[in-house]
Amino acid sequence: MTGRAAPLLGRFRAGYVAPSVLLVAGLLYAPFVWTAYLSLTRYDGLIPPEWVGFENFVKLLDDPALLTAIRNTLMWVAGTMLLPVGLGLLVAVLSYDIRGGAWFRVPFMLPYALSGAGLGLVWSPILSHDGIANKLLGVDTAFLQEAPHNTIAMLLVWTWQQLGVNTLLFAVGLQSIPKEPIEAARLDGASGWRLFRHVIWPLMAPLTAVVVGLALVASLKSFDIVWVMTQGGPGRNSETLAVTMYRDTFVASEYGYGSAVAVMLTVVTGLASYLYLRGRK
Amino acid sequence: MIRRTPILIAASVLLAACGSTPTGQPKTELTLYNDKGAWSKYFTEMGALSKQQIDLGMKPVGYTDEPTYQAFIKASFRTDVKPDLFTWQTGGLLKEIVGQKQVAETTAIWQEAIKNGDLSEDVATYYTVDGKQYCVPLNVAYWGMFYNKKIFDKHGLKPPTTWDELITVAETLKKADIKAFYHTSVLFSFVWFEQLLAGTDPDLYDRLSTGKAKYTDPGVVQVMEKWKSLIDAGYFSNPGDKTDPADALKNDKVAMVSFGTWFNTSMTQRNLDAGFFVIPNVNASLPKTSMIFESGPLCSLAKAPDPAASMKYLKWWTTTQAQEKWSSARGDVSANPKVTIKSEVLGQVTKDAGSGKYRLVNRYFEATPPPILTAALDGFGLFVTKPDSYRQVLEDIQKKADEYWSTHQ
Repeated sequence: MTGRAAPLLGRFRAGYVAPSVLLVAGLLYAPFVWTAYLSLTRYDGLIPPEWVGFENFVKLLDDPALLTAIRNTLMWVAGTMLLPVGLGLLVAVLSYDIRGGAWFRVPFMLPYALSGAGLGLVWSPILSHDGIANKLLGVDTAFLQEAPHNTIAMLLVWTWQQLGVNTLLFAVGLQSIPKEPIEAARLDGASGWRLFRHVIWPLMAPLTAVVVGLALVASLKSFDIVWVMTQGGPGRNSETLAVTMYRDTFVASEYGYGSAVAVMLTVVTGLASYLYLRGRK
Repeated sequence: MIRRTPILIAASVLLAACGSTPTGQPKTELTLYNDKGAWSKYFTEMGALSKQQIDLGMKPVGYTDEPTYQAFIKASFRTDVKPDLFTWQTGGLLKEIVGQKQVAETTAIWQEAIKNGDLSEDVATYYTVDGKQYCVPLNVAYWGMFYNKKIFDKHGLKPPTTWDELITVAETLKKADIKAFYHTSVLFSFVWFEQLLAGTDPDLYDRLSTGKAKYTDPGVVQVMEKWKSLIDAGYFSNPGDKTDPADALKNDKVAMVSFGTWFNTSMTQRNLDAGFFVIPNVNASLPKTSMIFESGPLCSLAKAPDPAASMKYLKWWTTTQAQEKWSSARGDVSANPKVTIKSEVLGQVTKDAGSGKYRLVNRYFEATPPPILTAALDGFGLFVTKPDSYRQVLEDIQKKADEYWSTHQ
């Protein structure tokens, strides 16, 4: 930086930062503060909000649908860690360092091009009672009707889409780790599971933190697939917290109560991310 | 100069962001926001016709997701993105936007239309809040049973005129391994509840809609038990089927589908010549056959971009020449009694309904306040997949109803 540019930058420093700060404040902080305020009101989107204090949060604790939503959301988190993330790692490791490994990974990547809503539209008729899945398997299963089958079915669909991107991220991680420690370990006689567990896995830790962190947040706010495939039903038995938030706000027009769910979901997501990242230190 | 440039740019951006400057020129084309995305073709045809007849075009903007649509319209009340015309719902939702002074009064249009015979007093009641009218009918629909004529002919069946005859038809079809009735766990899960309740005790139906009766009352419980007995008897299709009901009817998957007359639009689109009959009352001793009725409003905002143009359009919409086109294109009935209905059977139903032959019952969707409706749709959705859950379902809906009516009586 030149001597002339430094004071100029210093003088207008706030000006350079201001557009970004204004965008973040206007598009992220302000809506959050507004949502937090609405969570303390009774509001149907038309009549001006009426202050009710913590009534919505008290109601939340007494809502059996919320317990179902929490149970389903936890299933989404656990299922996501096990399937898209776990299988993604497995596919990446199995296809690492072999001839044509990249080609092996390509089919897993293709479904990633679909949006969550598109994914739901494709799979919903397949898994419906009169869909092709029942016909191909020769069964009469209500994949999307009974809990917890419907959440498991949607998790498998989610896996079909997400597996590729997780595989890709892990493959990139595997390719970027230094070769020397692996060679050294091999010379010392390490191979297979022991090589992976004690050498490769620790070297991949920074990338794993990102993949798991992203998957954790994505699974906590699972919405689009559920909304398109079951709308959280039947009878709210496949609802996740994000679906509960949308349903209470926009379907039932209870903006105050829906905002309380949104605040709770934000706190849960923030807390889970914080605890996860803290636990990795 | 250098210092002024950013200020000029910022000012230009701000001016651009503030939207177009009102020119004072009357609009020549209106946008009609609607929650009937599947009807875009028909709206576009109406736009072309209005351009011809009153020199005012119309362009539809259709939504297919109701919550998204309603959220947009509610947001438009507080922003500058205001539709010229929009579709809405009668009942509690219309009262709400009238209460908030967001919707333009249409009393003058109604008075003239009733005088000319273009609209009827009966329909006006659905559009009246505190003695004044708001919006005009986009459509009206009478609910009944569409049936597959081919299946009926094959098994020697005739449209039933009593509840017992309807059950005999269902039993005959069951023996032939054909599902008699369509039902679903999503959105239209309320259809059989409203039909059975209105056909058993329409007064109870009305009281339930206004919070004067409870979902746990014996009369409502009996209706659920009746519905359960029909499901247990094996008359219904699987509620988890995703096949469009119109396709299910066309492809012989079910023999009968209960919907409003607007369902005939789907029949028209599929070139299916389906039959239609009025569903007989469960309770034969009722003086009149209960018939579910719905009417969807077409509205203008109180602060519409060009109020005069919007009013001109609403007035035109009620006229016979506009309604002839709207009705015939979709193969549906019309709010205008002077319109000739293409379908003979639907024309007869409209005529009979107009002469007071039926007791018209406001559709459950409009008659029930949104928070209770949402709980009920979820509850009925659960019930059709697990019929044994009916008591729990009714208790859950009543819990929501208690909560709602405690602040809305």
